[in-house]
Amino acid sequence: MKPAPFEYHAPASAKETVELLAELGEGAKLIAGGQSLVPVLALRLAVFEHLIDLRNVAGLRGIEDRGDAVWIGAGTTQAAIGRSGLVAAKVPLLTRATPLIGHFQIRNRGTIGGSLAHAEAAAEYPAAALTLDAVIETLSPRGQRSIPAARFFTGIWSTALEPDELLTGVTFTAAAGRSGFAIEEFSRRPGDFAVAGAAIAIELDGDGDGAQIRRCAIGLFGLGPTPLRAAAAEAAVTGSHVRDARTDARAGEIGRAAMAGLVSVPSDLHGPAAYRTRVGAALVAAAWRRAVTEALGEAPGGALSEEAAGG
Amino acid sequence: MTTVGQAAARYAGSRVRRVEDARLLAGAGTFVDDVTRPGMLHACFVRSPHPRATILGIDAAAALALPGVHAVFTAADLNGDVREAWYTGIGKDVPDTPRPPLAEGEARFAGDPVALVVADSRYLAEDAAELVDVDYDPLPAVADYATAAASQALVHEGYPGNLAGRLGGAPAETVADAFAAAAHVVTETIWQQAYAAVPMETRGLVAEWSAASGELSVWAATQAPHEVRMFSARLLGLPEHRVRVIARDVGGGFGLKVAPMREDMCVLLAARRLPAAVKWIEDRQENLMAAGQARHEHGTARIALDDRGTILAATLDHVQDVGAYPTPWPVGTGAFVGMNFPGPYRVARGTFSHASMFSSTVGRCAYRGPWAFETLAREVVLDIAARRAGTDPAELRRRNLLGVGDMPFTNPNGVTYDHMASLETLERALAIVGYDAFRSEQAAARAAGRHLGIGLSCYAEPTAGAFGYYATEGATIRIEPSGKVNVYVAGGSTGNSLETTVVQLAADALGADIADVATVQGDTAVTPFGAGTGGSRSGPMTAGAVGETAAILRAKLTALAAHQLEAAEADIELAHSRAGVRGDPDAGLSYGELADIAYFQPHRLPPGMTAGLEASGRYTAGSRQLWATATHACICEVDVTTGAVRLLRYVVGEDCGHMINPSVVEGQIAGGVVQGIGGALLEELAYDGDGNPVATTFMDYLLPTAADVPLIEYGHVEVSPGPGPGGYKGVGEGGAIGAPPAVVNAVADALAPFGVTITRLPLSPASIVALLEEAGA
Repeated sequence: MKPAPFEYHAPASAKETVELLAELGEGAKLIAGGQSLVPVLALRLAVFEHLIDLRNVAGLRGIEDRGDAVWIGAGTTQAAIGRSGLVAAKVPLLTRATPLIGHFQIRNRGTIGGSLAHAEAAAEYPAAALTLDAVIETLSPRGQRSIPAARFFTGIWSTALEPDELLTGVTFTAAAGRSGFAIEEFSRRPGDFAVAGAAIAIELDGDGDGAQIRRCAIGLFGLGPTPLRAAAAEAAVTGSHVRDARTDARAGEIGRAAMAGLVSVPSDLHGPAAYRTRVGAALVAAAWRRAVTEALGEAPGGALSEEAAGG
Repeated sequence: MTTVGQAAARYAGSRVRRVEDARLLAGAGTFVDDVTRPGMLHACFVRSPHPRATILGIDAAAALALPGVHAVFTAADLNGDVREAWYTGIGKDVPDTPRPPLAEGEARFAGDPVALVVADSRYLAEDAAELVDVDYDPLPAVADYATAAASQALVHEGYPGNLAGRLGGAPAETVADAFAAAAHVVTETIWQQAYAAVPMETRGLVAEWSAASGELSVWAATQAPHEVRMFSARLLGLPEHRVRVIARDVGGGFGLKVAPMREDMCVLLAARRLPAAVKWIEDRQENLMAAGQARHEHGTARIALDDRGTILAATLDHVQDVGAYPTPWPVGTGAFVGMNFPGPYRVARGTFSHASMFSSTVGRCAYRGPWAFETLAREVVLDIAARRAGTDPAELRRRNLLGVGDMPFTNPNGVTYDHMASLETLERALAIVGYDAFRSEQAAARAAGRHLGIGLSCYAEPTAGAFGYYATEGATIRIEPSGKVNVYVAGGSTGNSLETTVVQLAADALGADIADVATVQGDTAVTPFGAGTGGSRSGPMTAGAVGETAAILRAKLTALAAHQLEAAEADIELAHSRAGVRGDPDAGLSYGELADIAYFQPHRLPPGMTAGLEASGRYTAGSRQLWATATHACICEVDVTTGAVRLLRYVVGEDCGHMINPSVVEGQIAGGVVQGIGGALLEELAYDGDGNPVATTFMDYLLPTAADVPLIEYGHVEVSPGPGPGGYKGVGEGGAIGAPPAVVNAVADALAPFGVTITRLPLSPASIVALLEEAGA
């Protein structure tokens, strides 16, 4: 479990980084926190002639309040995001997703950019970005680009990033109005990748429990080759009255509806596809109840406790 | 050398702090990978990616051309050098299974070592290993031991039907009448998955051959330094006294490190052909692919009960997977599964059969309670029987368990239990867990839609088995000229606190302050011969060795002090590293003063007394084994939507005789219980249907973490001290034996309202959901 030889580069700027990427071609790989890449290298599952370390690249770290949005630099660690008051106030789903990522040692090294670029289908941040319609910002020798999360995740560990493109940051719309957010996952042990997971963001229109659901996003992870949105289930619930949507029976229906369209649910040692969808439906239902409760202002919505995460 | 700074009137029986911890917690331990030798080289194995394949050819030219690569060895280079390759604990005359150093002609499991690369660094060795071109012709594999008998393919040519060996008791017909007459007969086949020891420190060794002096030095991760020495000497045809084996700190063994394995043989053979020391450290993926599996077995258990719930007869037909290259010979242990199947119960009739089957998977190896399946099968089926008969599982056990008053007791397979308080451990565990109160809590929880369960398991554990080279243990104690004490024992501690217990025992036996006592272990050049750690033998056997030897020195100290102090020997008291005179507080000589006389003033010695204060002794066990016993009680909650199991409480009522150090006893139990919990819920050394391993990293091989394990509570029952030294019995393996059935029974109890019967491990969430769906829940 020793990596094959590689040449190490540590450029100081994003511009220099993408020029290097362009120059070195496919034999080059960016390394940020290394929490996925280093084991891959040690097991020689992949071999790269060049590693370009982002540690010295200026401008990649930070969390910025942009009024109705929050910008997070790609090199910001999961731990920094997890303890950010700004993120907790404006992008609470991200705050709640963070403790579910691995263990604290992993979160101290792992970055949001690395997590999104690695695009593990069972990981929390890609699903959160997709659920929140985040916008992913990139730089290549041809200039900057903004990619909506909905178009970013293209397949197993595959993204819309070009070979010479660097993920520089991600922008999340700030929570507004009567909204609720929840994330639920089931894993074999605390810190493991999710066997299945669900993230929900809803926004209400109107007062009291007569309000209508103006916007609903249901994100799924561990249930396909990429993080997914349960579009049909979202559409079915959008526009309905929240009082009708808050019952356990309705939550169960939404959970089942969210699983209905899934076609490539994985099967492995930790559970066959049918098991994953059973658990996924229950997680969507649980997240739904938490999100609705929060939107109605009745209780904090789903700061998922760590002990609930592991079963 | 290690010392402690704590004083007490009597150290044995108290929670003396571990003397090992200062260096280990400071990161200052010396494990094999910490050993560095001048010019040391590094080894890496080329392993078969195929479960079964003919090896048509090996081309090492590209690997050898890489700068920094010293050698690439194949079977053609090394295997012919083997002189003898048998284990002392098994003997050379058993029909042992094949165990070539490198794969010869055919690779027999995915991970089979095919070539050994030696280079300047492990990095280079891995680069070169990728360049070794092995021409494989894949063959159909024997992926599943359970169907291996009918397989067209043979793992080894010389073993028709893939049968490695078979043993058994009387024919089943001999007990047919007992079953025919029984009110209830329960028959179930219990299936256990493969799981493994997975020590924190993987396997590894450094071997250094000095051609000029004809000496071989080996630094090894081992439980038995002297066995590594004997084995190496036989393997290479060297005189035993020219081989030195050193094992300072070892990061867990659990049976995996009781005997040198194929990779060790390769490195030892290669060392003879290399100009410098060679180091091999197994990496984690190798450990999960090639170190060995355990626990992969099934058995059909039949238990007959009368209408009052008295067990009338019990039989087990047991089949185990031994993989391609088991270490050591697995058939004898397999037979013990059946022999001990009646366990700590008053069972009058029974018999057993055992078959060991080869498969194209990693070889079976010893793992903490290698015979543990007897407890799993018996305890799970007893609970099934209790449920079917409408009897409470605790009550069923209470009616049938052996207590102190039943000792000795010979089970129907000829195993005699003695000094064993099984019934008493049940009562203690039930009291601690609050069994009756739990039943009320469970009913209330069920009414509220929560599914709680309690599981029990009881077992009889043979410890300190005294056969062959395990029957004795030696110690040398030297009171140095300063009066400080050094105790030399063979050691083999892999985290078992053997340094602490030896220091405790020696301080008591000599009347020394514990701070004055240190111990040297794990170096065959300086310690007496001993069989190492294994079979839960170290506590009682080392206590015996220290006791025998200390008695010689006590006598000498007493005679010397009496002579100097002009007192009667009967009036000499040894305490606090000082010989005093009873009734005369002012008279006395410290051990330093006595040692000064013994070493430097021989003219002051009593007539006939030899100079010096050093003695060696050897303890010979008086019993075939010492029987420990315990009852485990586990409470869990099952989420019937996800199938997740959460353990809420874990209680162990146990009888290991008197305790040398309760903290060490509890540490041993806790470690075993955690491994058993892993086996019941998480760990699976899984293969796909073609024989390819699919759990070769910690992402898929799931060990229990602190978050998965509840606080473990202990109830020590010391009513039945063993007949051995100090009344001590072994306690190394029981935790791992008792835990799996306790967890399974707890889950089965939680799911009892759904009519679920659990017969297959591990209880993954998906498997629990499948059981619930099958039951129509």
